[in-house]
Amino acid sequence: MGQKKSEGKEVSRRAFLKTCGAAGLGAMAISFGVPTLLKAQPKPIKIGSIQPATGPLAVIGQGQRRGNQMAVDFINAKGGIKSLGGAKLELVLGDSETKSEVGRSEADRLIKEGAVVLVGAFESGTGMAVATLAEQRGLPFLVDVATLDDITQKGYKYTFRIFPTSTAFAQRGTDFIKEIMAAKKLSPKRAVVTYVGDAFGKTQGGFFIKHFKAANTGIEIVEEISYPLGIPDLSGEVAKIKAAKPDLLFPICRPGDSMILTRELYKQRVELLGIISPGSPGWYEPSVVRDLDKLALYVMDNVPWINPASPVYQEANKLFEQKYKAYLDTNTGWAYTGVLVIADALERAASIDPDKIVAAFKATNFKDHPMVGDAVQFAPNGDNKNATTAMVQVLPEADPLKRVKVVLPQKFAQAKLVFPAPQLWDRG
Amino acid sequence: MNLALALQLLIQGILLGGIYGLTAVGLSLIFGVMGVINFAHGQMMVIGMYISYWILVLVGLDPYLSLPLAAGAIFILGYVIQSTVVNRILDFPEAMQVLPLVAMGLILENLALLFWGPDHRSPSTALGLATFTLGTATVDVSRLIAFSLAIAFTVALFLFLKKSAIGKRIRAAADNRLGAQLVGIKVNRINNIAFGLGAATTGAAGALLLPLMPVSPHLGHDFTTTAFVVVILGGMGNLLGALVGGLILGVTESLATLLLPATLKQVVSFGLLVVIMLIRPQGLFGGRR
Repeated sequence: MGQKKSEGKEVSRRAFLKTCGAAGLGAMAISFGVPTLLKAQPKPIKIGSIQPATGPLAVIGQGQRRGNQMAVDFINAKGGIKSLGGAKLELVLGDSETKSEVGRSEADRLIKEGAVVLVGAFESGTGMAVATLAEQRGLPFLVDVATLDDITQKGYKYTFRIFPTSTAFAQRGTDFIKEIMAAKKLSPKRAVVTYVGDAFGKTQGGFFIKHFKAANTGIEIVEEISYPLGIPDLSGEVAKIKAAKPDLLFPICRPGDSMILTRELYKQRVELLGIISPGSPGWYEPSVVRDLDKLALYVMDNVPWINPASPVYQEANKLFEQKYKAYLDTNTGWAYTGVLVIADALERAASIDPDKIVAAFKATNFKDHPMVGDAVQFAPNGDNKNATTAMVQVLPEADPLKRVKVVLPQKFAQAKLVFPAPQLWDRG
Repeated sequence: MNLALALQLLIQGILLGGIYGLTAVGLSLIFGVMGVINFAHGQMMVIGMYISYWILVLVGLDPYLSLPLAAGAIFILGYVIQSTVVNRILDFPEAMQVLPLVAMGLILENLALLFWGPDHRSPSTALGLATFTLGTATVDVSRLIAFSLAIAFTVALFLFLKKSAIGKRIRAAADNRLGAQLVGIKVNRINNIAFGLGAATTGAAGALLLPLMPVSPHLGHDFTTTAFVVVILGGMGNLLGALVGGLILGVTESLATLLLPATLKQVVSFGLLVVIMLIRPQGLFGGRR
């Protein structure tokens, strides 16, 4: 009896096995049952973002990621992709390290991790490499920022670009410069073009020079100066600029060299009517405007800027300011727009099949974006037909975050342009 | 050819060369004593720049005044790196010595990215925009200060090694590690100090460069390469050689802008390196090694 009693109290081997079996069955039921329940919630759609998050363009690359991510959050907050059962977007991150070969392998990794669309790449060399890869893998790639014309000239079927090309920059830049000189009744004679020696700088500089020379502006380009990306010193280059005695300087920069260039122009007392960039970073970024302070003032830049009147811009910029203490600029603005355009295509494709997404891209007519210019529509080669630029100028304002203003075209202008600019050393 | 422009470029080249020299002196010292190449050298300089940046922004102290602090901090960094890492790898094959220091460079670079973000930071400093004219040429005051201090530091370091007791021990350890140990020199400690001193000069160079160029985490790599070229040019382990090598490189790079686009700057400096290697493989002032 005593023995039986104790058997009842203790866990016998048989009882243990029974319990385990039951628990096992339960666990199996859970593991088979619950996923069927979860199927109501569709799998997130992965968007691969390849940006130069480290390396000499890191400051821009990290901004690009933020732009991409903010748009993903925006779409998800609005209920995801409705035609796909409210599927959420997920941004998977790739870092090109500002090197095109790394960008390519990172893009490849993102594809292996299940990205159905790629977005990026800011740096044109990487953009080209990723476009080629996208074509090989048959996966759509949306260029949010990158100017190199070639990217969309290879007949690729899977690459689309919302940003203007170097040709578009060169045309708009030349037109703006003509317009400014005519409006101010000035006829400068000599100009110097400087450009950074990476894929972007060479194309942007080369196209601008070619176009400007052909445009009959009466302004002669007396010197062309190029220097490598990430150069720590520009004193020799500025000495050359000074020796060329220009009236105007047309620099194509990256953040960093723009600061060295401006300080050096001050130190060597290079007299200019003004600095007008044909379209490049380095002049409108919050860190540049803050650190150069008075020296950054009156610089003009021909860029596909945000549209200050757009409600989409106002909403996004408020969030961007709160989160990152910076404003949406031409790059982050287009990074934001890029993901919106992708979401719009996914919504219409109602599928993650690459060819259906490509078909949806082709039919894009996307109006609700934060930038200057009309609705995003793609030409047969994949370029945005309506991509355009504005002339922005850094103008005096107590808050450095509010200094960059659209001055041309009149339709979008926030302020009157100041030209000629006071010399760098005459600003108190 | 424009003579005024050539004069301007020559002056700028000399001034820039002094700074190249200062970054290279530390590398040369470290190589001379330990026989290892500090591949984290440029990154250490960038940390020095960030330290003086921080002091400038938070306390308002000009980089020239905070220079001893930046140099001191990098001295400690160098001391710690030597005592924890480099002392253990001194007898390893050369290829294996390279990796821990390259890794150290990557760690420092990414720490800078973590702490200060990717922004190019270029705060305005008291003398940042000061210049004076010399005939037709403009002389940049902050560059002149950097140049003069670079020469002063190199000479001071040279005298320290020649005259002081610690300096003599460093030289003894460099000459013959076993012999130095036998006569009772604590070689590991002496190595720590030597690495610390080499690092401190690059920290000081960082403080001197802050008024001249924006600091960003990725700046270091190019300076490691430049310092490396300068050291080979002047002769490995020779301090005055490093200074002269810096001047030669600075002037050559600067004058090359007269004839070549600056995109070819590195072609010029590495071309010069190849020529020197062919004619004098031990460097201009290289002797023993």
